[in-house]
Amino acid sequence: MTITANLSSRRRRLSDLAAAGPIYLNNAAEGWPKAPGVAAAVGRALEGMPVEAGRGGAIGADPIAACRQRVADLLGIPDARRVVLTCGGTHALNLAIHGVGLRSNAIVVTTVMEHNSVLRPLFHLQQSGRARVIMVGLDPGGGLDDAAFGQALRERPALVAITHASNVTGRINDVARWFEMAKESGAVTLLDAAQTAGQFAVQPLLCNADLVAFPGHKGLHGPAGTGALYVAPALDLEQILVGGTGRHSESRRHPPAMPERLEAGTPNGPGLAGLAAALAWHAGHGSTFRQGSRQAGEDLRDRLHAIPGVQSFHTAADGAAHVGVVSLQIAGWRVDELGQVLRDSFGIVCRTGLHCAPLMHAAIGSAAEGTVRLSTSGFNTDAEIAAAVDAVGRLACA
Amino acid sequence: MRLMRVEKLEDCFDGSSTCTYCFDQAWTREAIQQLATLGELTYFADFPRPFYRVCAAGGLQVRGVEGLSHWRVVGGAERHAWLQKMLAR
Repeated sequence: MTITANLSSRRRRLSDLAAAGPIYLNNAAEGWPKAPGVAAAVGRALEGMPVEAGRGGAIGADPIAACRQRVADLLGIPDARRVVLTCGGTHALNLAIHGVGLRSNAIVVTTVMEHNSVLRPLFHLQQSGRARVIMVGLDPGGGLDDAAFGQALRERPALVAITHASNVTGRINDVARWFEMAKESGAVTLLDAAQTAGQFAVQPLLCNADLVAFPGHKGLHGPAGTGALYVAPALDLEQILVGGTGRHSESRRHPPAMPERLEAGTPNGPGLAGLAAALAWHAGHGSTFRQGSRQAGEDLRDRLHAIPGVQSFHTAADGAAHVGVVSLQIAGWRVDELGQVLRDSFGIVCRTGLHCAPLMHAAIGSAAEGTVRLSTSGFNTDAEIAAAVDAVGRLACA
Repeated sequence: MRLMRVEKLEDCFDGSSTCTYCFDQAWTREAIQQLATLGELTYFADFPRPFYRVCAAGGLQVRGVEGLSHWRVVGGAERHAWLQKMLAR
């Protein structure tokens, strides 16, 4: 039996932190705590009489319209009718990918950084002969391969779908430049902003995105089951879901006008009330929050990278921008074991495995086990970051 | 210490062989030390909540935290069957 050395003073300090509650570093999966006002807004929506927004007999202010306007404000777009409210990022991405009308092996350019919420709809279309997917890999520095992207554009893609930031390494992509090139080649551009909305400025008009999809429960710290899709004015997406809208009920056809065009059925009123509250909070505090989140992420990334025995998968050396996501492995420890010991022994909540981004893990050489992913938000304190660094350091020398 | 139930733990990988073993009471340091009969026991006493790992034959790995009443166990079906037989003794 091996018993490691006793470091009682540090143990006491970490025990004190653990006693204060878990340290939440799983914000790339779901932002927590929720933004101030979210829980109360959801509660009010559930406890109050249903508003039935947009339906005949609706009473009072329309919380759905209010949420839609908040999303438009976040994205800096002039017309809120171009915002489709969804039940999450995957829903929004599916509306976009299936809605652009890909047929007969249409070329789609995407990247190895993508989440399965982009990859699986594309592979589904590829399997049915509607799309042919060209995958752009990484360059030696861990960014997307510029030359390969230029080569792919020569195939005249119908759609270019790129994540704003990797959910594995946190690397932010220069989507404005890539989308400009894509649009020059005639493609529709789709931005997956799952890791950046609320953490980084997401402005479709500035980054040349025709479509922007994101969930409400990650960087915006709103409720799960909410999200949005921005659709550029020049685009008419095909309808995937049709049904009741509360308007034009006499017609057999689903309304063609936005946003009803892409919304069917009863909306998630309580969730969207919560998302509106999160967006209202971001409108007042977003700048400070984003700065805090970036600072926490940089601090964590730099300090973990300096620990001997820790392999962190990042690209800070070349000055690339990142969101607060750090992936790592520690020599001598299985990845899933690290997740267990960080949570149960150190009180640090993180995520292990492939993070639904299998091609990215293959590209960075971590496909066999995945990585431990620590992801920050503007709510994380310096003490929490210090405790996480301390824990990883102790695991590395255990 | 009685094993109450075994739950398959789903994760990212196909064919994952990780299970959670739930016991009727928390594992004490004394009880943990007895796990050395199963394989090589490593006990991390200086962690905020002491962590232990047992590496047994055939790649079986048992992991837990002192004071908690569950394990995470990684291994093939045959090794899980062996472990459950050992625990039943």
